[in-house]
Amino acid sequence: MNQNLHQAGVKLLNALSRHADLLMQVYLSGTVDESKFSPKVIDSLVQMGILWRPDADADLRLKNVVRQLLEGSLHDERNRQIDANIGSALKGLKTLADHYKEALQHQRFTEANAHLSDLTEHVYALTESLENNVRVLFSRINNEFGYVSSIDAKIRENQLAQSQVSELLGELEMFQFDELSEIAASNRELRHLLIVTLQHSFSRVTQELSIVQARLLSLLGRFRELRGRTRLLKGFLLHMEHSPSFVPVNYCGLTQVPMLFNQAEAVIKAAAVDVTRVEHEQDLQKLVSAIKTLNRPQKSYQPERAAHQIHVEKQSEVEFAEDKLKKAVEGYFCQVIDTGERLTALEYYQQHELAFDTEAWLYQVIGGYQGLTSEEQSYFAIEQSGEPHPVYNGNFIIRDVELGLR
Amino acid sequence: MISEQGRILESLLSGAFICQISDEDGWRFLKTSGNSDKIEGQLNMLNRTLASAAEGEVFYAAYQTLGDNERKVLTSQFQDISSHLVPLVEWLLLVQQASGTDVPVTQGTALRLAEIQLTIEDTPAFAEQLAKISHYKLFGSTSVSVDGQIKQVFKRLTDLGYMLRPNQDKQIFIATGKVEYLYEVIKFIDETESLSLSEQADSAVQQGSLI
Repeated sequence: MNQNLHQAGVKLLNALSRHADLLMQVYLSGTVDESKFSPKVIDSLVQMGILWRPDADADLRLKNVVRQLLEGSLHDERNRQIDANIGSALKGLKTLADHYKEALQHQRFTEANAHLSDLTEHVYALTESLENNVRVLFSRINNEFGYVSSIDAKIRENQLAQSQVSELLGELEMFQFDELSEIAASNRELRHLLIVTLQHSFSRVTQELSIVQARLLSLLGRFRELRGRTRLLKGFLLHMEHSPSFVPVNYCGLTQVPMLFNQAEAVIKAAAVDVTRVEHEQDLQKLVSAIKTLNRPQKSYQPERAAHQIHVEKQSEVEFAEDKLKKAVEGYFCQVIDTGERLTALEYYQQHELAFDTEAWLYQVIGGYQGLTSEEQSYFAIEQSGEPHPVYNGNFIIRDVELGLR
Repeated sequence: MISEQGRILESLLSGAFICQISDEDGWRFLKTSGNSDKIEGQLNMLNRTLASAAEGEVFYAAYQTLGDNERKVLTSQFQDISSHLVPLVEWLLLVQQASGTDVPVTQGTALRLAEIQLTIEDTPAFAEQLAKISHYKLFGSTSVSVDGQIKQVFKRLTDLGYMLRPNQDKQIFIATGKVEYLYEVIKFIDETESLSLSEQADSAVQQGSLI
């Protein structure tokens, strides 16, 4: 029997995991789209009791237990159900405790053990469901009923939650620990389960529920205030639409001006730095360093900068004196080439009785040589004659230049 | 070094609203009993008194006694406030609708400019409403694009002290206690003029549902 149950459970869980995609889709959308999945799969799920058809024409839906499992494990905020049926759970506990005691009296220990484990299971299930209920309430408070958008809907949700809290509190009153302790009597296991565990969870849950109730009330107050504000704004606009000429009376003319409109004018102006105080020195330095020097001298009238007419004329031709000098140098070079003899520049100068300054002449000769291309330079040999400067080292005074062919 | 008290006195005298968002330390200081008496004494010297609105959410400086000059100042302030009401209320409702949570803007509400802009750009009705709001004199936008309009509106709201931009690199704004002050002003007008605004809104909703 046990083996069979184990195998059937494994098969069921396997089916759940195999069709996880389908199940999640059903969980989110509510119904099965039968055209999307093969009828064989759907049939097997129906047989295993995972899906069911509430009505002959209705679509397939998820079984409530599966849905609750998902809601509980996923902490889904759509889960708004509160299981407040504590009375029947308590009665079940009492019955099981009686079974257990009876089995112990008749010394049927295996049976007693089974009853005890059953009882343990039920006690823990009850505490878990209590905690779960509180958690569900808290999650709704914490996101301020974020799953509905309008304030009115939030107010309705809040009222629902409040009624659930008071119902839960009413059910909690059914915990009668004197009765439970009578049932448990002197049995250690039963005392532990029925009194310690339950009382623990009971005190925690009642404490948390009172916090929940206070939070719900303050939230409701806030929602009502927000709704009041929205109404106020909308009403004001409506009123202005109906009577656009509406102007409130000038309340400031009344003998008792309402504090709301009594708003004094600003009197404080920026303070200045005191230059005689030492402790302000640092600030002063900062101020000074921030000063920019703007140097914009006032310019007096400058007649030469005034606009005046410009005459454009044809430029007269200028003849350069160097032209003559250059020609003379060319003549000197040509004579050296023609005669093929060495000739100093000053000798040529004297021969032709040239009129230039001798220094300029020498410069021009050297310059003329340097101005030739390197190929042409290689035909000539040039030699300066002169002596170093007597006072300053490094200077060489050229007295004459001798030019010849190579 | 300026003391906490001096700092708060200065900001009160410069016309600031002190709330939990704009100046949390200052707000807590004023909330602590005894501290407000000290400030009160110093304010009295300048014909000022410490005033609070919205159930102690905002503090500001008010005149202690009112002469003709003070009344003149208050009258011009009141005219400003009452002319700002319609644009501000329309803006608050637009933001409430565009953010999709149906929660009105209150002190501490964080508004992400990019998100609101996205919704407004996607919804022509909102874009039209924004264009209308941003062209009020209060906001003074001349832009034709949603981007320019919404930025101008947020900039003006920050200048006026209704919004705070904690991080200059991010387009996230936080509503200050001055928004609460605004609600208080509307409530006050509603009560003194017996307009019963909430009932008007309610009956409009019911009529709307009948149609």
